[in-house]
Amino acid sequence: MIEKVKLLYEGKAKRVYSTIEEDKLIIEFKDTATAFDGLKKAEISGKGEANCIISSKIFELLTIKGIKNHYIKRLNEREMLVKSVRIFPVEVIIRNRVAGSMAKRLGLDVGKELERPVLEFCYKSDELHDPMINEDHILALGLATEEELKTIKEMSLATNNILIDFFKRCHLELIDMKFEFGKDPQGDIYLADEISPDTCRLWELGTTTSWDKDRFRKDLGGVEEAYKEVKERVINTPIESKARILIRLKPSILDAQGSVILNALKSLGFNEVTEVRVGKLLELKIDRKIDEPERIEKMCKELLANPVMEDYEWEWIE
Amino acid sequence: MNFGIVVFPGTNCDRDCYYVIKDILNQPVRFIWHREYELKRIDCVVLPGGFSYGDYLRAGAIARFSPIMSSIREFAEKGGLVIGICNGFQILTEAGLLPGALGRNKSLRFICKYVNLIVERNDTPFTSEFKKGEIVRMPIAHNEGNYYIDDLSKVKKQVVLRYYGENPNGALDNIAGIVNEKGNVFGLMPHPERCSEKILGSEDGLRIFKSIVRSI
Repeated sequence: MIEKVKLLYEGKAKRVYSTIEEDKLIIEFKDTATAFDGLKKAEISGKGEANCIISSKIFELLTIKGIKNHYIKRLNEREMLVKSVRIFPVEVIIRNRVAGSMAKRLGLDVGKELERPVLEFCYKSDELHDPMINEDHILALGLATEEELKTIKEMSLATNNILIDFFKRCHLELIDMKFEFGKDPQGDIYLADEISPDTCRLWELGTTTSWDKDRFRKDLGGVEEAYKEVKERVINTPIESKARILIRLKPSILDAQGSVILNALKSLGFNEVTEVRVGKLLELKIDRKIDEPERIEKMCKELLANPVMEDYEWEWIE
Repeated sequence: MNFGIVVFPGTNCDRDCYYVIKDILNQPVRFIWHREYELKRIDCVVLPGGFSYGDYLRAGAIARFSPIMSSIREFAEKGGLVIGICNGFQILTEAGLLPGALGRNKSLRFICKYVNLIVERNDTPFTSEFKKGEIVRMPIAHNEGNYYIDDLSKVKKQVVLRYYGENPNGALDNIAGIVNEKGNVFGLMPHPERCSEKILGSEDGLRIFKSIVRSI
């Protein structure tokens, strides 16, 4: 079991710890909420747990869909293990409808549909209150290279498309959301931070009812309930995925079928083959409600493999 | 002595067992459909041979989830007699009522022939009609009879029948039949119901059923 070593950073909603493994961090989700640059602050019971579970499931979905992200696994109800990446000092905001600061800045009606998703960038600085910047600023100030910026934009748009669809299945409309990206020592770019009602605006599908942090910002009441509601909907919305299970006779058992195949290969002149082991391949389509790899282990142990004779291994393939 | 013969989809030796118990031994017997839950007034459960559930996944692997199996487990725990023949033996190992597993025959062929067996134990309710060390003849008919267990020392004392002379399927330590620790659950690859009348070439199988009858 991997454990927290040192508190590296404490933010408004999360604590980040180092672990014994240099390239892994533990994120702990707090119940604290702040808004308006920290002017408004409160404890929302159950928020940390909700955000941790919601983020974990969304990161899993994104992994399956091929979006690289820092999530490794959820450790418990409040903590997740992530890959340590160097965070770009740029926040990415993607908008599908007008809301929040965009409505204020441009004098537009909240809820106005946008012709296409809008990407905005903010320079991460508490002192300067995260000012909005553009792509030229990012490049000119060396906050990211042109190549990196291109990847970040592509990943943001792709993630937006995946999550619009997923939240729709939760009967929620994704209005806008905020991303942070980081890179590893190899220069690979990862989606980082969290994806939760703290970083997304989510409306009940077909209405303007908020199920996100706006309930707190605007004193709409039912804040705790909103986080719990989103958590429940996310948990109960299955992710269609596929597991591939390979079952083979234990190495200590003679594989008669393998021996016959080996001889046949040799008789065809494939003398370089020295051993053949035959196995069974099973592909399971699974509606995953939440990250439960131990369920597949259980399936293997209780039915799919006979532990007396067989070994198994498995992986998610979609 | 009331016998109950469990019938799964794909079981095919149920009628033979029924015939031996009813017509040769004149004992009360009934079929128990695998969807039943009740084992009322049954003294001995017979899991006959065949291809339950088409041997899908592994021989015996699916049958163990049939509703009747939980009752059989309870019945066995209370000391009731259970005999699993061939596919029945495979089901008992898959269900964990007997130790070990039955893998594919070493030859990869389905083997159907008479074999010689040595009776290692006659102190079980299933073999009291034999002498210890006696050589008997019974037919086998299976594709997965290759007995395996990772630690043989665990079952050394539970071996009831061993193949004698030739080992037909590669079974570890020539094991052809074993009982559980308590001795009330017996699994064997040979088919005693197929050698219970002189006309069939051997009556050694009948002695297994006779032992069961005598035990109560």
